[in-house]
Amino acid sequence: MRMTLKAALMLGTLLSGTSAWAQEITVWDWKSSDPLSVPYYQKAKEVFEAAHPGVTINYVMQPHDQYYTLLGTALSSNAGPDMFLMNGGAQAKARFGALLKLDDKVADIKDDLVGWEEFADANGVYAVPLSIQGFVVYYNKKLYTDAGLDAAKPPKTWAELAKVCDAIKAKGAVPCFAMGNKEGFGIEFWFSSIAATSWTLDEQAEFAAGKLKWSSEPVKAILQSWVDANKNGWFPQGANSTAKFMDEYEGFMRGEAANTIGLISDVAHWKQFDEFLGAENDGVFPMPSPTAAADKKEGEPNFPLAGGIGYGINKASANADLAVAFAKVLASPELEQIFFNDAGAVAANAKVDTAGVKSPAAIEILKIMATSGAPMAHANATAKELEEIHRLSQLLLNGETTVDEAVKRMDEVQAEAHK
Amino acid sequence: MGSPAERRIALLFIAPALLLVAVFRIFPLLWGFVLSFFDSDGMTKLEFVGFGNYVALASDNAFRDSVENTLILIATLPIWVALPMLLAILIHQGVPGGGFFRAVYFFPAVLSSVIIGSIFNMVLRYDGSLNAMLKAVGLVPVDWLGSGSTALYVLFSVQLWSTFGMSLLIFLAGLSTVPTELVEAARLDGAKPMQIWWHVIIPVLRPIIEFVGVVTTIGALTSMFGLIYVLTAGGPGTSTTLPEFLIWLEQGKMNRPGYAAAISMLLFSLMAGLAYVQIRIMSKNANL
Repeated sequence: MRMTLKAALMLGTLLSGTSAWAQEITVWDWKSSDPLSVPYYQKAKEVFEAAHPGVTINYVMQPHDQYYTLLGTALSSNAGPDMFLMNGGAQAKARFGALLKLDDKVADIKDDLVGWEEFADANGVYAVPLSIQGFVVYYNKKLYTDAGLDAAKPPKTWAELAKVCDAIKAKGAVPCFAMGNKEGFGIEFWFSSIAATSWTLDEQAEFAAGKLKWSSEPVKAILQSWVDANKNGWFPQGANSTAKFMDEYEGFMRGEAANTIGLISDVAHWKQFDEFLGAENDGVFPMPSPTAAADKKEGEPNFPLAGGIGYGINKASANADLAVAFAKVLASPELEQIFFNDAGAVAANAKVDTAGVKSPAAIEILKIMATSGAPMAHANATAKELEEIHRLSQLLLNGETTVDEAVKRMDEVQAEAHK
Repeated sequence: MGSPAERRIALLFIAPALLLVAVFRIFPLLWGFVLSFFDSDGMTKLEFVGFGNYVALASDNAFRDSVENTLILIATLPIWVALPMLLAILIHQGVPGGGFFRAVYFFPAVLSSVIIGSIFNMVLRYDGSLNAMLKAVGLVPVDWLGSGSTALYVLFSVQLWSTFGMSLLIFLAGLSTVPTELVEAARLDGAKPMQIWWHVIIPVLRPIIEFVGVVTTIGALTSMFGLIYVLTAGGPGTSTTLPEFLIWLEQGKMNRPGYAAAISMLLFSLMAGLAYVQIRIMSKNANL
């Protein structure tokens, strides 16, 4: 008995001694156990640990719908991870206070990556971008053909889109757009997709600053198009009780809707749709807009593009330098190549070779990206505005409020949020 | 009262429980109370705003709507109490298959609200089985969860379905205390079944009715989050937003723990008032 106790004591001492010099980098995300992303994360861990003996990477995957709640609680109680994944735009900006300013630490990779602006403010950069995110319309080519449409010629103008929806509606088999707005995400995608073409760059900047009011013509027109599309039967019944992630997309993948506004990275993207519809049936086009802004051309629709996800370093971390080094490994061309090939994430690193991609949808997305890209309008709105437009968009679909009433309410929320 | 030594030993025995209550109940409550006077983003910002959060609540539409929804919920309370009571009386009077019904009614009480939400999501969504049934018999389908006129009542109905089994058991226990002589005497005096229910059984059950009323209200106001989260996410608009869902929204999505704490304090005050009523009723019943 005494021997066992002694042995246990020695083992305990040994273990505690080990932990005194071993370093662990805790990394929070919502992706590392996702089967498509596992090869990328495992390889990154191997590469980093081989280059830094004695340092271990500890991935902690959290559920995405609770992610920011858990992160906020951990950070406020000083128990946050060394580094953590964030969505670009508003979610990242709300956490800059807890993040290490990275400008001098990432100077060497600054030119290799795109999407920094989603993780930066006037003071500097606070996260390393991993992927590019954007909204495009995916369409089911088979359903287009069934409705007598030319599947090789997706709509480029609003009038052409209206014709497509009329044809789909006349066929009567499926709705024109899959739509899930249970959490209010449907309006976010619709809003930014149309603003990309109907707003000038100045208007985008003014909206982000809270100066372009919701009651102004460019903003109001988008909400009107939301109501009109619903009134014209473009959306299915029950959009308010359908979750966008993933009920809407699962419906699209089952062939129950002709179009859906999806993402270009992460989920609800070309790789996933290719798998279910067959790559030959998965088409892509940028969302047209009822009006084209003065700095854009009718028939050349733009699409919202932004830094997708990125890693920030907790400024309270004792291992900040190692965490920065690991973020650089994650964003390196070798690793990002795996992320692109396996998970279908459009990488932030411009050195990633995309020439080998076979998916026609992915090829089309890369082609569109090369010539267009506008700010993601909704991501630049405040959290208060987003929450309120989620609610109002549902009431607009139900006819329980009017566009005039909605923009009046949104003006109040906008003024309050920018006080 | 024992000797001082005995009291010390007694204190030692209750100390662990006291410590747990103090650390996990009292301290968070006090912390929440203090936090409700601050404007905080949960990370770096912590600015004292006095009663600012409470003042802001007065003009917050979402909070006002959540209070309205709470009042509607409280107004439906008679149904939450009467339904299990009537079913309990029927089972107690020996309807055929009473034992089976008792088990079936209680069954949902052992399921988590998220599971119940997921089940009813499949039944009630627009392309769900209920609408398929309506369409099959030639009726117009309804967006039960997505329409402002139905969502709140559907939510209450699901919560009622999932919890009334517990109230039913409490009523059954209460019914077993109704003296059979009273019922017999009434019957001999020529009372009809309805009269026996109304004039004999229900008056005897009065304390149980009060108890079930209070417990049901507290339960409905503090344990519907899972259902709301899965079924409606608080919408459409704010039509199914209750204070506890709003607390989560302000804390988790809007990064406003101070504001969320202020709503929590108001909800706590309401709960404390109801708990006070409950304690009064229970102490009154102790003499029965």
